[in-house]
Amino acid sequence: MYQPWTVKYKPKTLKEIVGNREAIEKFVNWVKSWEKSPPAKRAAFLYGPPGVGKTVTVEALANDFKMELVEKNASDYRTEEAVKRFAGLASQYGSLFGTRRIILFDELDGLTGTADKGGVKAITDIIKTAQCPIVLIANNAFDPRFAVLRNYCLLIEFKKPSATEVLKHLKAICLKEGIAAEENALKFIAQRSEGDIRSAVTDLQALAQGKKRLTYDDVSWLGYRDRQETIFTVLRMILYGKTCEGAKRAVDMADVDIDMLFEWIYENVPAHLTDPHDLARAMDALSIADVYRGRIRSTQDWSFVRYVIDFMTAGVAMARVNTKTSGWTPFQFPKRIQALSRSKEERAMQLEIGHKIKRRCHISATRASKEVLPYLRIIFKSNVEMAAGIAKWLDLSPEMIDYLAENEEKAEAIKQAAGLKPS
Amino acid sequence: MSFEMWAEKYRPKTLDEMVDQKEIVERLKSFVKAKNVPHCIFAGPPGTGKTTAALCLARDLYGEAYREHIMELNASDERGIDVVRETVKTFARVRSIGEVPFKIMILDEADNMTADAQQALRRTMERYTETCRFILCANYSGKIIEPIQSRCAPFRFTYLPREEHDKYLRYIAENEGVKLLEEGLNAIYEVCGGDLRRAINTLQAAASLGKPVDAKIVYSIAGRANPADVQKMIETAMKGDFLEARRQLREMIQKYGVAGSDIIRQIHTEIFRAEIPEPWKIKLADIVGEIDYRLVEGADEEVQLSALLAKLVEAAYEIKSARKG
Repeated sequence: MYQPWTVKYKPKTLKEIVGNREAIEKFVNWVKSWEKSPPAKRAAFLYGPPGVGKTVTVEALANDFKMELVEKNASDYRTEEAVKRFAGLASQYGSLFGTRRIILFDELDGLTGTADKGGVKAITDIIKTAQCPIVLIANNAFDPRFAVLRNYCLLIEFKKPSATEVLKHLKAICLKEGIAAEENALKFIAQRSEGDIRSAVTDLQALAQGKKRLTYDDVSWLGYRDRQETIFTVLRMILYGKTCEGAKRAVDMADVDIDMLFEWIYENVPAHLTDPHDLARAMDALSIADVYRGRIRSTQDWSFVRYVIDFMTAGVAMARVNTKTSGWTPFQFPKRIQALSRSKEERAMQLEIGHKIKRRCHISATRASKEVLPYLRIIFKSNVEMAAGIAKWLDLSPEMIDYLAENEEKAEAIKQAAGLKPS
Repeated sequence: MSFEMWAEKYRPKTLDEMVDQKEIVERLKSFVKAKNVPHCIFAGPPGTGKTTAALCLARDLYGEAYREHIMELNASDERGIDVVRETVKTFARVRSIGEVPFKIMILDEADNMTADAQQALRRTMERYTETCRFILCANYSGKIIEPIQSRCAPFRFTYLPREEHDKYLRYIAENEGVKLLEEGLNAIYEVCGGDLRRAINTLQAAASLGKPVDAKIVYSIAGRANPADVQKMIETAMKGDFLEARRQLREMIQKYGVAGSDIIRQIHTEIFRAEIPEPWKIKLADIVGEIDYRLVEGADEEVQLSALLAKLVEAAYEIKSARKG
């Protein structure tokens, strides 16, 4: 009987899942936190690229924790009414037989266009009063449609597992299937998948099922399909486009969503349009595209997306008047995305310190984190004794000291002087 | 040197200890004497003693156990209407036990309250006047709705005069065994503009370096403590380095959480100070205004502001070419 290996070898327990240990731990802790009472965030939003194990994680957890998993796919909740039908399920913690329940809304990306208007809002409403854990899954949690929804969710990022991790999984499958596979062959499949385990397993099955041996030659004919290459082609069509139509067509080729494509363009415009007039025109076009994104958000009318596309592609292409197409400038990955998640954590820490200052200094945490914290940073870098005194006085945690000192050695000295650590 | 925050250590405890705002202090003392306090608005720039005056008033009125009779709320942290409905009401309606028959609610940074919350507050103030008096501290009294203003006695706080400012900082420096040079003191006044909390924080951070506090140290502290170096970002853009200017912008927004509205307000000020041909200033102001409006509408701060930076790059380039030609 033919059974896809992706189903046959799907992890049944959390232990078997490939990679993403951190995300899984965060998720497990959140589910555990329900045991006392509903936590502040009543939904967890699992996001990340396709095939990295988001859905599998939820299923395995339900299995490990003996919870009843109520799973809904995009087609089940296209409209507000459809979602509201699940509201009853979400309002109680346990099911009839006392088993606890977990509700999963999968493939949130699948909600598109005006037809699904209200679907996201209805989900948000359910979360607000949910009495059991709600889990949302999407590739891109930062889609503007989820802006409000996000506030009610614990965001958990699933990253692509490394090629080594994928390789381990493939080896295990080969062992169970009784296939003697060359390390090189499996490595090739693992690398080609770029962290998408599902596609790696599918490839392996296509190449190896029914065989006793799998060699490098069996697999090497599969052309190396570089996903990176696609986006570069798309960028070239936009940044060096001669016609509006050509630049606009690039969007259809891109295998990233509009927002991500916007980030790619936004990152790369300055290096490729160096003439000040061209640069100003291109940035202006991007800023207008951004205005239309705002209009989509405020009206929830997705038809405006065509203007977003006009300005971010054709608008940028038409900005080139003076800059010559000379030489070859590499494309950069949008740095803003990486910086954003890092700085989000940082700002949470700043606000926590702000709250400590507030307790002592009659100033709001918000203002303290902006107006007092910078001075603390200077003190923590230059004066161990004073820093230790202030750390004690404000009752700062070791992590806060680490953050303010920005230097491990300094931080340790301060902690020791503050008596936070046995010497 | 003592190892706590000096701004707190040297905060006056009683109205008698308050160095300035003499007229205000006199009126507050008369409230203490009469054991009656009206609802008040303390308005004035930061670091001029609004919160201190409220705390001193409370201590003089209730004695050492004053904390049992007051509640401090920061509108910047809890600005919503729910807080007024729940926290404020719960506090306000319960009668205080003791000689003074009312409690005091100090609402700090009250100009950050939403309009809805202010409306709710207005009813609460009215209803529980007998059991609770409100002191609203705000930078701008104009942001407080008219009906609340008309129910409050207004007090206008101003920056400390230079002599008082200097006297206070010298006193702290002496007490902490810090060598504060005259030029250092001048520099502190210059960068903090009479905001005493900032001045004391600057002094403490400067002192933490363990050297005599001179002008150079003060300027470097001020630079490091002010993440919103908009002036530097504009200079970078005007020099034509868009990528670096955008990096600085990104750091301000993401790392330090500076609000886009604050950045644009500073850009607006800087443009009129910049050494560019006069007609350009008004041209740029138009662009700044447009971007400002977009930010209010909820556009992406970095994308919009970097479009503005690109315009600055372009402007500087055109000005330069015009001068050459």
